[in-house]
Amino acid sequence: MKHSLTRRDFLKGTTSALLGASLAFGREGPAKKARVVLIRHRDVLDENSKVNADILQGMLDESVARLVDQPDGAKAFQALVKPGETVGIKTNVWSYLPTPPELEAAIKRRLVDAGIAPEKIGLDDHTVRTNPLFVNATSLINVRPCRTHYLAGMSGCIKNYIMFGESQPFYHPDSCADLGALFKLPQVQGKTRLNILCVLTPQFHGRGPHHFSRRFVWNYKGLIVGQDPVAVDTIGLQLIMAKRREVLGKAQELPPVPKHIQLADTRHGIGTSDLNAIEFIKLGWDEDILI
Amino acid sequence: MKVTKRGGALLGPTAGLIAALTVFAGGGAVGEFSAKIPKKAGAWTATGEDRIYDRNTLYDYMDGGAEVYLAFDYREVWSRKYADPGGRELVLDIYDMGSPAEAFGIFSCDREDPAAGIGQESEYGFGLLRFRQGRYFVTVTASSEDEAVGKVILELGRDVVKHLGPPGPGPDMLAFLPAAGVRADRTSYFHSQVNLNNRFFVSSENILQLDRSTDCLFAEVEARSGEAAFLLLTRYPDEAKAGAARRSFLAGYAPEAGADGLARTDNGKWVFASLAGRFLAVVFESPTAEWASDLVSSLPLPKK
Repeated sequence: MKHSLTRRDFLKGTTSALLGASLAFGREGPAKKARVVLIRHRDVLDENSKVNADILQGMLDESVARLVDQPDGAKAFQALVKPGETVGIKTNVWSYLPTPPELEAAIKRRLVDAGIAPEKIGLDDHTVRTNPLFVNATSLINVRPCRTHYLAGMSGCIKNYIMFGESQPFYHPDSCADLGALFKLPQVQGKTRLNILCVLTPQFHGRGPHHFSRRFVWNYKGLIVGQDPVAVDTIGLQLIMAKRREVLGKAQELPPVPKHIQLADTRHGIGTSDLNAIEFIKLGWDEDILI
Repeated sequence: MKVTKRGGALLGPTAGLIAALTVFAGGGAVGEFSAKIPKKAGAWTATGEDRIYDRNTLYDYMDGGAEVYLAFDYREVWSRKYADPGGRELVLDIYDMGSPAEAFGIFSCDREDPAAGIGQESEYGFGLLRFRQGRYFVTVTASSEDEAVGKVILELGRDVVKHLGPPGPGPDMLAFLPAAGVRADRTSYFHSQVNLNNRFFVSSENILQLDRSTDCLFAEVEARSGEAAFLLLTRYPDEAKAGAARRSFLAGYAPEAGADGLARTDNGKWVFASLAGRFLAVVFESPTAEWASDLVSSLPLPKK
Protein backbone atom coordinates (compact mmCIF):
# COMPACT_ATOMS: atom_id res chain seq x y z
CA MET A 1 0.00 0.00 0.00
CA LYS A 2 1.41 3.36 -0.98
CA HIS A 3 0.89 5.90 1.76
CA SER A 4 0.92 9.56 0.89
CA LEU A 5 1.60 12.02 3.67
CA THR A 6 -0.71 15.00 3.18
CA ARG A 7 -1.40 18.35 4.72
CA ARG A 8 -4.39 16.80 6.41
CA ASP A 9 -2.13 14.47 8.38
CA PHE A 10 -0.27 17.56 9.43
CA LEU A 11 -3.47 19.36 10.46
CA LYS A 12 -4.49 16.36 12.49
CA GLY A 13 -1.23 16.63 14.37
CA THR A 14 -0.06 13.28 13.16
CA THR A 15 2.80 14.53 11.02
CA SER A 16 5.50 13.86 13.56
CA ALA A 17 4.14 10.45 14.24
CA LEU A 18 3.96 9.64 10.55
CA LEU A 19 7.40 10.95 9.77
CA GLY A 20 8.83 9.06 12.67
CA ALA A 21 6.84 5.91 12.15
CA SER A 22 7.63 3.12 9.77
CA LEU A 23 4.77 2.59 7.39
CA ALA A 24 5.85 -0.80 6.21
CA PHE A 25 2.61 -2.40 7.17
CA GLY A 26 2.82 -6.06 7.94
CA ARG A 27 6.58 -6.05 8.35
CA GLU A 28 7.91 -7.69 11.44
CA GLY A 29 9.36 -5.21 13.88
CA PRO A 30 13.09 -5.21 14.56
CA ALA A 31 14.16 -7.57 17.29
CA LYS A 32 16.44 -4.98 18.82
CA LYS A 33 15.91 -1.25 19.04
CA ALA A 34 18.29 1.04 17.21
CA ARG A 35 20.18 3.01 19.80
CA VAL A 36 20.70 6.71 19.20
CA VAL A 37 22.58 8.91 21.63
CA LEU A 38 22.24 12.68 21.89
CA ILE A 39 24.93 14.40 23.90
CA ARG A 40 25.17 18.12 24.65
CA HIS A 41 27.60 20.31 26.54
CA ARG A 42 26.98 23.91 27.53
CA ASP A 43 30.61 24.95 26.99
CA VAL A 44 31.50 23.18 23.76
CA LEU A 45 31.00 26.50 21.94
CA ASP A 46 32.10 29.87 23.26
CA GLU A 47 30.23 33.13 22.77
CA ASN A 48 31.67 33.38 19.25
CA SER A 49 30.64 29.80 18.44
CA LYS A 50 34.28 28.68 18.50
CA VAL A 51 34.57 24.98 19.23
CA ASN A 52 36.34 23.79 22.37
CA ALA A 53 38.17 20.78 20.95
CA ASP A 54 38.77 19.10 24.29
CA ILE A 55 35.13 19.24 25.29
CA LEU A 56 34.08 18.02 21.87
CA GLN A 57 36.47 15.07 22.14
CA GLY A 58 34.91 14.25 25.48
CA MET A 59 31.40 14.44 23.98
CA LEU A 60 32.38 12.11 21.17
CA ASP A 61 33.99 9.66 23.56
CA GLU A 62 31.11 9.60 26.02
CA SER A 63 28.39 9.30 23.39
CA VAL A 64 30.08 6.54 21.35
CA ALA A 65 31.00 4.67 24.50
CA ARG A 66 27.36 4.71 25.57
CA LEU A 67 26.28 3.74 22.08
CA VAL A 68 28.28 0.53 22.08
CA ASP A 69 28.34 -0.10 25.83
CA GLN A 70 32.05 0.42 26.33
CA PRO A 71 33.77 2.18 29.22
CA ASP A 72 35.48 4.92 27.21
CA GLY A 73 35.95 6.37 23.78
CA ALA A 74 39.09 4.47 22.87
CA LYS A 75 37.53 1.12 23.69
CA ALA A 76 34.35 2.14 21.93
CA PHE A 77 36.20 2.76 18.69
CA GLN A 78 38.06 -0.52 19.17
CA ALA A 79 34.66 -2.15 19.14
CA LEU A 80 33.80 -0.44 15.86
CA VAL A 81 36.96 -1.00 13.81
CA LYS A 82 39.83 -3.47 13.86
CA PRO A 83 43.59 -2.80 13.61
CA GLY A 84 44.86 -2.97 10.05
CA GLU A 85 41.65 -1.75 8.48
CA THR A 86 41.40 1.13 6.03
CA VAL A 87 38.77 3.58 7.25
CA GLY A 88 37.10 6.39 5.36
CA ILE A 89 35.62 9.33 7.24
CA LYS A 90 32.89 10.70 4.99
CA THR A 91 32.72 14.32 6.01
CA ASN A 92 30.91 17.33 4.58
CA VAL A 93 32.64 20.44 3.27
CA TRP A 94 29.68 22.71 2.44
CA SER A 95 31.41 26.05 2.89
CA TYR A 96 28.78 27.71 5.05
CA LEU A 97 28.31 24.84 7.49
CA PRO A 98 31.01 22.19 7.15
CA THR A 99 31.78 19.38 9.56
CA PRO A 100 33.88 21.11 12.24
CA PRO A 101 37.57 20.20 11.80
CA GLU A 102 37.73 19.65 15.55
CA LEU A 103 35.20 16.84 15.17
CA GLU A 104 37.09 15.31 12.26
CA ALA A 105 40.27 15.41 14.35
CA ALA A 106 38.52 13.81 17.32
CA ILE A 107 37.34 10.92 15.18
CA LYS A 108 40.78 10.45 13.63
CA ARG A 109 42.38 10.43 17.07
CA ARG A 110 40.16 7.62 18.28
CA LEU A 111 40.64 5.63 15.09
CA VAL A 112 44.40 5.78 15.63
CA ASP A 113 43.85 4.74 19.23
CA ALA A 114 41.92 1.77 17.89
CA GLY A 115 44.92 0.65 15.87
CA ILE A 116 44.22 2.22 12.49
CA ALA A 117 47.37 3.53 10.84
CA PRO A 118 47.10 7.27 10.16
CA GLU A 119 47.96 6.73 6.51
CA LYS A 120 45.02 4.34 6.25
CA ILE A 121 42.48 6.91 7.38
CA GLY A 122 40.74 8.80 4.60
CA LEU A 123 38.91 12.08 5.10
CA ASP A 124 36.95 13.24 2.10
CA ASP A 125 33.67 14.50 0.72
CA HIS A 126 33.45 15.21 -3.00
CA THR A 127 36.00 12.67 -4.24
CA VAL A 128 35.14 9.63 -2.18
CA ARG A 129 34.32 7.59 -5.27
CA THR A 130 37.88 7.77 -6.53
CA ASN A 131 39.89 8.39 -3.37
CA PRO A 132 41.97 5.19 -2.91
CA LEU A 133 41.43 5.29 0.83
CA PHE A 134 37.68 5.12 0.24
CA VAL A 135 37.92 2.68 -2.65
CA ASN A 136 39.83 0.33 -0.34
CA ALA A 137 38.01 1.20 2.85
CA THR A 138 36.66 -1.68 4.88
CA SER A 139 34.91 0.64 7.33
CA LEU A 140 33.27 4.03 7.02
CA ILE A 141 32.49 6.74 9.55
CA ASN A 142 29.69 9.04 8.42
CA VAL A 143 29.80 12.56 9.86
CA ARG A 144 28.15 15.82 8.90
CA PRO A 145 26.20 18.80 10.27
CA CYS A 146 22.42 18.74 10.41
CA ARG A 147 20.50 21.26 8.32
CA THR A 148 17.36 21.74 6.35
CA HIS A 149 17.53 21.23 2.63
CA TYR A 150 15.29 22.88 0.06
CA LEU A 151 14.79 19.71 -1.93
CA ALA A 152 15.31 16.79 0.44
CA GLY A 153 13.84 18.48 3.50
CA MET A 154 16.82 17.64 5.64
CA SER A 155 20.49 17.05 4.99
CA GLY A 156 21.55 14.38 7.43
CA CYS A 157 23.56 11.22 7.53
CA ILE A 158 21.58 9.53 4.76
CA LYS A 159 22.05 12.38 2.32
CA ASN A 160 25.74 12.67 3.23
CA TYR A 161 26.49 9.61 1.13
CA ILE A 162 25.26 11.18 -2.11
CA MET A 163 28.88 11.68 -3.18
CA PHE A 164 29.20 7.89 -3.42
CA GLY A 165 26.68 7.99 -6.24
CA GLU A 166 27.93 8.10 -9.80
CA SER A 167 25.40 10.80 -10.56
CA GLN A 168 24.08 13.06 -7.84
CA PRO A 169 21.11 14.31 -9.88
CA PHE A 170 20.07 10.67 -10.24
CA TYR A 171 19.07 10.76 -6.57
CA HIS A 172 17.25 14.09 -6.71
CA PRO A 173 13.83 13.23 -8.21
CA ASP A 174 10.76 13.14 -5.98
CA SER A 175 12.34 15.12 -3.14
CA CYS A 176 15.41 12.86 -3.12
CA ALA A 177 13.15 9.94 -2.24
CA ASP A 178 15.70 7.22 -2.88
CA LEU A 179 18.78 8.45 -1.08
CA GLY A 180 18.58 5.30 1.02
CA ALA A 181 19.73 3.33 -2.01
CA LEU A 182 23.18 4.88 -1.60
CA PHE A 183 23.81 2.60 1.34
CA LYS A 184 23.48 -0.42 -0.95
CA LEU A 185 26.20 0.67 -3.35
CA PRO A 186 29.10 -1.82 -3.41
CA GLN A 187 31.52 0.81 -2.14
CA VAL A 188 29.30 1.43 0.87
CA GLN A 189 27.15 -1.56 1.72
CA GLY A 190 27.80 -3.03 5.12
CA LYS A 191 30.73 -0.75 5.91
CA THR A 192 29.26 2.10 7.95
CA ARG A 193 30.29 1.65 11.58
CA LEU A 194 29.17 4.96 12.99
CA ASN A 195 26.95 7.89 11.99
CA ILE A 196 27.49 11.25 13.64
CA LEU A 197 25.00 14.04 13.03
CA CYS A 198 26.66 17.19 14.23
CA VAL A 199 24.11 19.43 15.95
CA LEU A 200 26.52 21.91 17.45
CA THR A 201 24.97 24.60 15.24
CA PRO A 202 22.12 23.08 13.25
CA GLN A 203 20.36 25.04 10.52
CA PHE A 204 16.59 24.91 10.87
CA HIS A 205 15.47 26.96 7.86
CA GLY A 206 16.78 28.20 4.53
CA ARG A 207 15.76 30.71 1.90
CA GLY A 208 15.99 29.09 -1.47
CA PRO A 209 18.17 26.17 -2.45
CA HIS A 210 21.44 27.94 -2.22
CA HIS A 211 21.25 30.02 0.87
CA PHE A 212 22.75 30.13 4.31
CA SER A 213 22.16 32.71 7.00
CA ARG A 214 23.33 32.88 10.57
CA ARG A 215 19.79 33.81 11.57
CA PHE A 216 18.67 30.24 10.86
CA VAL A 217 21.30 28.41 12.89
CA TRP A 218 21.47 28.16 16.63
CA ASN A 219 23.95 26.93 19.19
CA TYR A 220 22.39 23.65 20.22
CA LYS A 221 25.80 22.28 21.23
CA GLY A 222 25.14 18.63 20.58
CA LEU A 223 26.04 15.47 18.71
CA ILE A 224 23.63 12.73 17.67
CA VAL A 225 25.36 9.38 17.19
CA GLY A 226 24.15 5.96 16.15
CA GLN A 227 24.96 2.97 14.03
CA ASP A 228 21.68 3.23 12.13
CA PRO A 229 21.73 6.27 9.79
CA VAL A 230 17.95 6.27 9.44
CA ALA A 231 17.40 6.32 13.18
CA VAL A 232 19.97 9.09 13.58
CA ASP A 233 18.28 11.21 10.91
CA THR A 234 14.86 10.48 12.37
CA ILE A 235 15.99 12.01 15.66
CA GLY A 236 17.67 14.87 13.80
CA LEU A 237 14.42 15.61 12.00
CA GLN A 238 12.56 15.70 15.31
CA LEU A 239 15.02 18.36 16.45
CA ILE A 240 14.67 20.45 13.29
CA MET A 241 10.89 20.28 13.49
CA ALA A 242 10.90 21.26 17.15
CA LYS A 243 13.05 24.30 16.43
CA ARG A 244 10.91 25.31 13.46
CA ARG A 245 7.81 24.99 15.62
CA GLU A 246 9.44 27.21 18.23
CA VAL A 247 10.72 29.92 15.88
CA LEU A 248 8.56 29.79 12.76
CA GLY A 249 5.33 28.48 14.27
CA LYS A 250 3.32 25.31 13.95
CA ALA A 251 2.38 26.07 10.34
CA GLN A 252 6.02 25.82 9.26
CA GLU A 253 6.99 22.93 11.48
CA LEU A 254 7.69 20.70 8.54
CA PRO A 255 10.58 21.51 6.21
CA PRO A 256 10.10 20.45 2.57
CA VAL A 257 8.97 16.86 2.87
CA PRO A 258 11.91 14.78 4.12
CA LYS A 259 10.36 11.62 2.72
CA HIS A 260 13.74 10.06 2.02
CA ILE A 261 14.19 9.28 5.70
CA GLN A 262 11.03 7.24 5.92
CA LEU A 263 11.68 5.61 2.55
CA ALA A 264 15.21 4.66 3.57
CA ASP A 265 13.40 2.43 6.03
CA THR A 266 10.29 1.26 4.23
CA ARG A 267 11.63 1.07 0.67
CA HIS A 268 15.33 0.44 1.10
CA GLY A 269 15.45 -1.27 4.47
CA ILE A 270 18.70 0.30 5.62
CA GLY A 271 17.46 1.26 9.09
CA THR A 272 14.46 2.29 11.09
CA SER A 273 12.43 5.50 11.03
CA ASP A 274 10.05 4.15 13.66
CA LEU A 275 10.40 6.14 16.86
CA ASN A 276 9.04 3.15 18.73
CA ALA A 277 11.96 1.10 17.45
CA ILE A 278 14.58 3.64 18.50
CA GLU A 279 16.22 3.62 21.92
CA PHE A 280 16.88 7.33 22.37
CA ILE A 281 19.44 8.17 25.06
CA LYS A 282 20.10 11.75 26.13
CA LEU A 283 23.34 12.72 27.89
CA GLY A 284 24.67 15.97 29.26
CA TRP A 285 23.27 19.47 29.21
CA ASP A 286 19.49 19.45 28.89
CA GLU A 287 18.54 23.12 28.80
CA ASP A 288 16.39 23.94 25.74
CA ILE A 289 16.88 20.38 24.60
CA LEU A 290 13.66 20.51 22.51
CA ILE A 291 13.42 16.74 22.01
CA MET B 1 38.01 39.55 -15.49
CA LYS B 2 38.02 36.07 -16.93
CA VAL B 3 34.70 34.27 -17.07
CA THR B 4 34.58 30.54 -16.67
CA LYS B 5 31.66 28.67 -18.16
CA ARG B 6 31.26 25.56 -16.06
CA GLY B 7 31.06 22.24 -17.86
CA GLY B 8 29.03 21.67 -21.03
CA ALA B 9 30.15 22.57 -24.54
CA LEU B 10 29.95 26.13 -25.70
CA LEU B 11 27.07 26.87 -28.05
CA GLY B 12 27.71 26.11 -31.69
CA PRO B 13 26.89 28.71 -34.37
CA THR B 14 23.37 27.43 -35.01
CA ALA B 15 22.45 27.05 -31.38
CA GLY B 16 23.99 30.43 -30.69
CA LEU B 17 21.86 32.04 -33.37
CA ILE B 18 18.72 30.41 -32.00
CA ALA B 19 19.62 31.55 -28.51
CA ALA B 20 20.23 35.08 -29.71
CA LEU B 21 16.88 35.19 -31.51
CA THR B 22 14.99 33.92 -28.49
CA VAL B 23 16.59 36.27 -25.98
CA PHE B 24 14.13 38.68 -24.39
CA ALA B 25 14.67 42.12 -25.85
CA GLY B 26 15.56 43.64 -22.49
CA GLY B 27 18.86 41.85 -21.88
CA GLY B 28 21.84 39.98 -23.27
CA ALA B 29 24.03 37.00 -22.52
CA VAL B 30 24.95 36.76 -18.87
CA GLY B 31 28.65 36.66 -19.71
CA GLU B 32 28.48 40.37 -20.50
CA PHE B 33 27.93 41.10 -16.84
CA SER B 34 31.61 40.51 -16.14
CA ALA B 35 32.47 43.72 -17.93
CA LYS B 36 29.44 45.69 -16.77
CA ILE B 37 29.00 44.92 -13.10
CA PRO B 38 31.33 46.96 -10.84
CA LYS B 39 34.22 44.99 -9.42
CA LYS B 40 34.22 47.03 -6.26
CA ALA B 41 31.40 47.56 -3.81
CA GLY B 42 32.53 49.82 -0.99
CA ALA B 43 35.58 48.14 0.52
CA TRP B 44 34.65 44.86 -1.08
CA THR B 45 36.50 43.66 -4.19
CA ALA B 46 35.63 40.96 -6.70
CA THR B 47 37.65 37.81 -6.13
CA GLY B 48 38.36 34.78 -8.29
CA GLU B 49 36.83 34.12 -11.65
CA ASP B 50 33.25 34.95 -12.50
CA ARG B 51 31.32 31.74 -13.12
CA ILE B 52 28.45 30.78 -15.38
CA TYR B 53 26.32 27.69 -14.91
CA ASP B 54 23.74 26.57 -17.44
CA ARG B 55 20.97 23.99 -17.16
CA ASN B 56 23.46 21.16 -17.49
CA THR B 57 26.00 22.45 -15.02
CA LEU B 58 23.83 24.08 -12.36
CA TYR B 59 24.26 20.93 -10.29
CA ASP B 60 27.92 21.87 -9.94
CA TYR B 61 26.88 25.04 -8.18
CA MET B 62 23.87 24.01 -6.11
CA ASP B 63 23.90 21.50 -3.33
CA GLY B 64 20.91 19.49 -4.42
CA GLY B 65 18.76 22.52 -5.14
CA ALA B 66 19.23 22.88 -8.87
CA GLU B 67 15.84 21.29 -9.51
CA VAL B 68 14.13 24.25 -7.92
CA TYR B 69 15.48 26.47 -10.70
CA LEU B 70 15.25 23.83 -13.42
CA ALA B 71 11.54 23.56 -12.69
CA PHE B 72 11.36 27.02 -14.26
CA ASP B 73 12.66 28.11 -17.67
CA TYR B 74 16.05 28.79 -16.11
CA ARG B 75 18.82 29.45 -18.65
CA GLU B 76 22.04 30.47 -16.87
CA VAL B 77 23.36 32.03 -13.72
CA TRP B 78 26.28 34.42 -13.61
CA SER B 79 28.05 34.37 -10.26
CA ARG B 80 30.69 36.55 -8.69
CA LYS B 81 32.22 36.64 -5.22
CA TYR B 82 33.41 39.74 -3.40
CA ALA B 83 35.60 39.86 -0.32
CA ASP B 84 36.38 42.63 2.15
CA PRO B 85 39.85 43.20 3.65
CA GLY B 86 38.84 41.00 6.59
CA GLY B 87 38.10 38.07 4.31
CA ARG B 88 34.33 38.14 4.63
CA GLU B 89 32.50 37.11 1.50
CA LEU B 90 29.54 38.33 -0.56
CA VAL B 91 28.07 36.30 -3.39
CA LEU B 92 26.25 37.96 -6.29
CA ASP B 93 24.16 35.66 -8.49
CA ILE B 94 22.25 36.88 -11.55
CA TYR B 95 19.87 34.23 -12.88
CA ASP B 96 18.57 34.44 -16.43
CA MET B 97 15.15 32.87 -15.98
CA GLY B 98 14.20 33.03 -19.65
CA SER B 99 11.32 35.49 -19.28
CA PRO B 100 10.02 38.11 -16.83
CA ALA B 101 7.18 35.75 -15.87
CA GLU B 102 9.65 33.06 -14.85
CA ALA B 103 11.75 35.60 -12.95
CA PHE B 104 8.58 36.60 -11.12
CA GLY B 105 8.02 32.96 -10.37
CA ILE B 106 11.33 32.14 -8.72
CA PHE B 107 11.22 35.42 -6.79
CA SER B 108 7.65 34.86 -5.64
CA CYS B 109 8.16 31.41 -4.20
CA ASP B 110 10.21 32.42 -1.22
CA ARG B 111 9.28 35.85 0.14
CA GLU B 112 9.73 36.61 3.82
CA ASP B 113 11.49 39.94 4.22
CA PRO B 114 10.59 43.64 3.77
CA ALA B 115 10.85 45.29 0.36
CA ALA B 116 14.18 46.93 -0.49
CA GLY B 117 13.08 49.18 -3.35
CA ILE B 118 15.40 47.62 -5.92
CA GLY B 119 14.25 46.44 -9.34
CA GLN B 120 10.66 45.48 -10.04
CA GLU B 121 10.21 43.68 -6.74
CA SER B 122 12.68 43.06 -3.98
CA GLU B 123 13.21 42.09 -0.39
CA TYR B 124 16.08 42.35 2.04
CA GLY B 125 16.76 40.80 5.41
CA PHE B 126 19.74 39.58 7.42
CA GLY B 127 22.32 39.61 4.65
CA LEU B 128 20.10 38.35 1.84
CA LEU B 129 18.91 40.65 -0.97
CA ARG B 130 16.55 39.16 -3.55
CA PHE B 131 15.04 41.05 -6.46
CA ARG B 132 13.76 40.64 -9.99
CA GLN B 133 14.11 42.86 -13.02
CA GLY B 134 12.98 41.84 -16.50
CA ARG B 135 13.87 38.23 -17.02
CA TYR B 136 16.54 38.29 -14.31
CA PHE B 137 16.34 37.14 -10.73
CA VAL B 138 19.17 38.36 -8.52
CA THR B 139 20.46 37.43 -5.08
CA VAL B 140 23.22 39.03 -3.07
CA THR B 141 24.17 36.98 -0.04
CA ALA B 142 26.46 37.44 2.93
CA SER B 143 26.87 34.53 5.29
CA SER B 144 27.43 36.89 8.19
CA GLU B 145 25.72 40.23 8.31
CA ASP B 146 25.89 43.54 10.11
CA GLU B 147 24.65 47.03 9.28
CA ALA B 148 27.71 47.93 7.20
CA VAL B 149 27.52 44.73 5.16
CA GLY B 150 23.82 45.36 4.63
CA LYS B 151 24.58 48.77 3.15
CA VAL B 152 27.12 47.29 0.74
CA ILE B 153 24.67 44.61 -0.33
CA LEU B 154 21.98 47.15 -1.11
CA GLU B 155 24.43 49.44 -2.93
CA LEU B 156 25.61 46.51 -5.04
CA GLY B 157 22.02 45.60 -5.83
CA ARG B 158 21.28 49.15 -6.99
CA ASP B 159 24.35 49.06 -9.24
CA VAL B 160 23.43 45.70 -10.71
CA VAL B 161 19.85 46.59 -11.60
CA LYS B 162 21.10 49.31 -13.95
CA HIS B 163 22.50 46.60 -16.23
CA LEU B 164 19.50 44.31 -16.38
CA GLY B 165 17.39 46.12 -18.95
CA PRO B 166 13.79 47.25 -18.63
CA PRO B 167 11.06 45.74 -16.48
CA GLY B 168 8.90 42.98 -17.90
CA PRO B 169 5.41 41.66 -17.28
CA GLY B 170 4.57 39.02 -14.69
CA PRO B 171 2.73 35.82 -15.64
CA ASP B 172 -0.63 36.15 -17.39
CA MET B 173 -2.09 33.90 -14.68
CA LEU B 174 -2.08 36.89 -12.31
CA ALA B 175 -5.08 38.23 -14.22
CA PHE B 176 -7.13 35.25 -13.02
CA LEU B 177 -6.85 36.05 -9.33
CA PRO B 178 -9.83 37.32 -7.35
CA ALA B 179 -10.35 41.05 -7.56
CA ALA B 180 -10.09 41.59 -3.80
CA GLY B 181 -8.67 40.02 -0.68
CA VAL B 182 -5.45 38.64 -2.19
CA ARG B 183 -2.14 39.37 -0.49
CA ALA B 184 0.04 40.32 -3.44
CA ASP B 185 3.27 39.79 -1.53
CA ARG B 186 2.24 36.24 -0.68
CA THR B 187 1.22 35.21 -4.19
CA SER B 188 3.50 32.67 -5.86
CA TYR B 189 3.82 31.42 -9.41
CA PHE B 190 5.48 28.14 -10.34
CA HIS B 191 5.08 24.93 -12.29
CA SER B 192 6.13 21.93 -10.26
CA GLN B 193 5.52 19.93 -7.11
CA VAL B 194 8.87 20.87 -5.60
CA ASN B 195 7.94 24.55 -5.59
CA LEU B 196 4.43 23.91 -4.30
CA ASN B 197 5.63 21.92 -1.35
CA ASN B 198 8.21 24.51 -0.44
CA ARG B 199 5.50 27.14 -0.50
CA PHE B 200 2.58 25.16 0.92
CA PHE B 201 2.91 21.52 1.72
CA VAL B 202 0.05 19.53 0.17
CA SER B 203 1.25 15.96 -0.20
CA SER B 204 4.40 13.92 -0.26
CA GLU B 205 3.24 12.52 -3.60
CA ASN B 206 2.55 14.53 -6.75
CA ILE B 207 -1.22 14.07 -6.50
CA LEU B 208 -1.88 17.25 -8.49
CA GLN B 209 0.20 15.90 -11.36
CA LEU B 210 2.27 19.05 -11.70
CA ASP B 211 5.22 19.37 -14.05
CA ARG B 212 6.84 21.94 -16.31
CA SER B 213 3.78 21.97 -18.55
CA THR B 214 1.54 23.25 -15.76
CA ASP B 215 1.25 26.86 -14.60
CA CYS B 216 0.33 27.37 -10.96
CA LEU B 217 -0.68 30.38 -8.93
CA PHE B 218 -0.80 30.05 -5.18
CA ALA B 219 -2.51 32.87 -3.32
CA GLU B 220 -3.48 33.72 0.22
CA VAL B 221 -7.00 35.13 0.25
CA GLU B 222 -8.61 36.91 3.17
CA ALA B 223 -11.60 34.83 4.13
CA ARG B 224 -12.66 36.40 7.39
CA SER B 225 -11.15 39.07 9.54
CA GLY B 226 -7.70 37.78 10.46
CA GLU B 227 -8.12 34.48 8.66
CA ALA B 228 -6.63 33.39 5.37
CA ALA B 229 -7.71 30.70 2.99
CA PHE B 230 -5.45 29.40 0.24
CA LEU B 231 -6.15 29.19 -3.47
CA LEU B 232 -4.13 27.01 -5.82
CA LEU B 233 -5.07 27.71 -9.42
CA THR B 234 -3.44 25.44 -11.97
CA ARG B 235 -3.59 25.62 -15.75
CA TYR B 236 -3.04 22.23 -17.41
CA PRO B 237 -2.18 21.68 -21.08
CA ASP B 238 -5.69 20.42 -21.77
CA GLU B 239 -9.02 19.63 -20.13
CA ALA B 240 -8.32 15.90 -19.93
CA LYS B 241 -5.18 16.47 -17.87
CA ALA B 242 -6.99 18.92 -15.63
CA GLY B 243 -9.75 16.39 -15.05
CA ALA B 244 -7.29 13.62 -14.30
CA ALA B 245 -5.47 15.85 -11.85
CA ARG B 246 -8.72 16.67 -10.04
CA ARG B 247 -9.55 12.99 -9.69
CA SER B 248 -6.05 12.24 -8.46
CA PHE B 249 -6.13 15.09 -5.98
CA LEU B 250 -9.48 14.14 -4.52
CA ALA B 251 -8.50 10.49 -4.25
CA GLY B 252 -5.27 11.34 -2.47
CA TYR B 253 -6.35 14.27 -0.37
CA ALA B 254 -10.12 14.19 0.14
CA PRO B 255 -11.44 10.74 -0.73
CA GLU B 256 -14.66 11.47 1.15
CA ALA B 257 -15.54 14.34 -1.19
CA GLY B 258 -18.57 13.89 -3.40
CA ALA B 259 -19.00 14.83 -7.01
CA ASP B 260 -19.02 18.47 -5.97
CA GLY B 261 -15.39 18.22 -4.88
CA LEU B 262 -16.08 19.47 -1.37
CA ALA B 263 -14.87 17.94 1.87
CA ARG B 264 -14.67 19.11 5.44
CA THR B 265 -11.24 18.58 6.95
CA ASP B 266 -10.40 17.63 10.50
CA ASN B 267 -9.81 21.21 11.61
CA GLY B 268 -13.35 22.15 10.65
CA LYS B 269 -12.30 23.94 7.45
CA TRP B 270 -13.23 22.99 3.90
CA VAL B 271 -11.29 21.91 0.87
CA PHE B 272 -12.79 22.35 -2.59
CA ALA B 273 -11.56 21.22 -6.00
CA SER B 274 -13.30 22.60 -9.07
CA LEU B 275 -12.66 22.36 -12.80
CA ALA B 276 -13.13 25.13 -15.34
CA GLY B 277 -11.91 23.99 -18.73
CA ARG B 278 -8.21 23.30 -18.39
CA PHE B 279 -8.04 25.14 -15.06
CA LEU B 280 -8.23 23.35 -11.73
CA ALA B 281 -8.95 25.54 -8.72
CA VAL B 282 -8.33 24.09 -5.28
CA VAL B 283 -9.28 26.01 -2.16
CA PHE B 284 -7.69 25.01 1.14
CA GLU B 285 -8.72 26.09 4.63
CA SER B 286 -11.98 27.68 3.54
CA PRO B 287 -14.20 28.70 6.46
CA THR B 288 -17.32 27.35 4.74
CA ALA B 289 -18.23 25.34 1.69
CA GLU B 290 -20.12 28.32 0.30
CA TRP B 291 -17.16 30.65 0.67
CA ALA B 292 -14.94 28.27 -1.29
CA SER B 293 -17.52 27.88 -4.01
CA ASP B 294 -18.11 31.62 -4.23
CA LEU B 295 -14.37 32.27 -4.43
CA VAL B 296 -13.92 29.93 -7.37
CA SER B 297 -17.02 31.31 -9.11
CA SER B 298 -15.57 34.79 -8.82
CA LEU B 299 -12.33 33.92 -10.64
CA PRO B 300 -12.13 35.72 -13.99
CA LEU B 301 -11.08 32.61 -15.87
CA PRO B 302 -11.04 32.54 -19.66
CA LYS B 303 -13.79 30.56 -21.36
CA LYS B 304 -11.28 28.26 -23.06
